[in-house]
Amino acid sequence: MSPRLFFEFFAAFFGTIAFALLFQVPGMYYKYCGLIGALGWMCYELLLPSATAAISTFFATVLVILLSRFFAVRERCPVTVFLVAGIFPLVPGAGIYWTAYYIVTDELAKAGERGFATFKIAVAIVLGILLVFEFPQKWFRIGSKAA
Amino acid sequence: MTDHTREALDAAALAGDILLASGAEIFRVEETIDRIAHAYGVQSSDAFVLSSGIFLTAGSEHEREFARVRHIPLSAARLDRVTAVNQLSREIEHGTYTPDEAKQRLLEIQQMPPKPSIHQVLASGVGSGCFCFLFGGDLADCAVAFVAGLILYVYLLYLVKGRLSKIATNISGGMLVTLIAVLLFRLGFGHHLGEIIIGSIIPLVPGVPFTNAIRDIADQDYIAGAVRLLDALLITFSIALGVGLVMIAYHHYIGGAVL
Repeated sequence: MSPRLFFEFFAAFFGTIAFALLFQVPGMYYKYCGLIGALGWMCYELLLPSATAAISTFFATVLVILLSRFFAVRERCPVTVFLVAGIFPLVPGAGIYWTAYYIVTDELAKAGERGFATFKIAVAIVLGILLVFEFPQKWFRIGSKAA
Repeated sequence: MTDHTREALDAAALAGDILLASGAEIFRVEETIDRIAHAYGVQSSDAFVLSSGIFLTAGSEHEREFARVRHIPLSAARLDRVTAVNQLSREIEHGTYTPDEAKQRLLEIQQMPPKPSIHQVLASGVGSGCFCFLFGGDLADCAVAFVAGLILYVYLLYLVKGRLSKIATNISGGMLVTLIAVLLFRLGFGHHLGEIIIGSIIPLVPGVPFTNAIRDIADQDYIAGAVRLLDALLITFSIALGVGLVMIAYHHYIGGAVL
C-alpha cells in the first residue's frame, strides 16, 4: 500500500464526516459514515489500476450501500443517514469540473469525452444503488441487535 | 373516538411533513404515515406523497372523513429529523405515546436546531480540503481548498441565508469559490488550480437530491424521482455555470494561455 493511499483513507474518512455534519447526521453516527466513505474510496482506488473508472465506481458504490444497509439495520435508523455521506467520495465532481472547463476553453471534443465519462460514472452509481436495494432486508440482519 | 382519529391523523400528517421536508425517501414518508395511523387504530387512511406535497385522506362507514393537503417546498437535508421521526414512529408502534403526546414530540423535533453555524463552516472547509486531496491535490492545494470551503459556507450561512433562489445560490457559490481559488493561485498558493476548484465546489454538489431521486425512481415513485433528479441536475448545471463564468473571465484576463 503506497503512503498516499494510506493518507487518502483518512482524507476520505474525515471528508465524509464533514459532509455527514453538513447534512445534520446525529453525532453518534459520524464514525460509521466516515468508515463507509473511507472503505468505499479504498475499494475504488484499489480497483482503478485494473478496471475503468465506471467499473471501479460501480463496485465501490455496491460496497458503500451494502455497508450502509448493514449499519442501518444494526443501529435501527434510516439508511439515508449512512448512504448519502458515504457515497460522496464517489460522486464525479472532477468529471463535472473538467467537462465545464473544456466547454469554457472551447475544446469541445475533450468536453464531450469528459462529459460522457462522467455520465458513465453517474450511471455506475445508479446501477450500484438499484442493485443493492433489491436485496431483501433479512440479509442485513446477520450479526445485528435482536429485532 | 372521532377526536382520537383526528388527533392520530394530525400526528401522522405532521410526521410525514417533517420527513418530506428533511430529505427522506417517498416510500419512508408513506410508510411512516401508514404506520402511525394504523398504530392508533385508523384503518381507512390513505396517503399519497409527491416530492413537494402530501395528500392524506381517511373515512369509511365506520370512520369519520378526514382530508389534508400539505405543500412542502424542496429544502436542505436534515437527517437528524429523519432519524428522530423514524425512532418516534417505532415508539408509537409500541404504544408509548398518545396521539396528543406524539404531536407534541413531533413539534419538538420540528424545532430541533441545526448544528452550530461555526461547525458547518469548519466542516465545509475540512470537506473541501479532504476531497481536494482525494482528487489528486497536494497539501498546498488542500490548504487553498480549505480556505475556499470555509468562505463558501460563510457566504451561504451568513450572507445568502436562503434569500436567493437555489439557482442563484449555486451559480454565485460556484463563482465565489472559483474566484477565491484563482486569486489565491495567482498569489502563489497551491499548484493545481483544477484540483483546488474541484475540492472547493464539493460542498455545493447535490448528493442528497441525487441519491433520493435514484431511490424514488427505483421504488417507482417516478414523479417525485423526476422532480428530485431535475433539482439535482439544475444545481449541477448552476455550479458548472458559476465556475465556467469565472474561468472565461480569467482566461480572457491572462490572454487565453493554458493553465
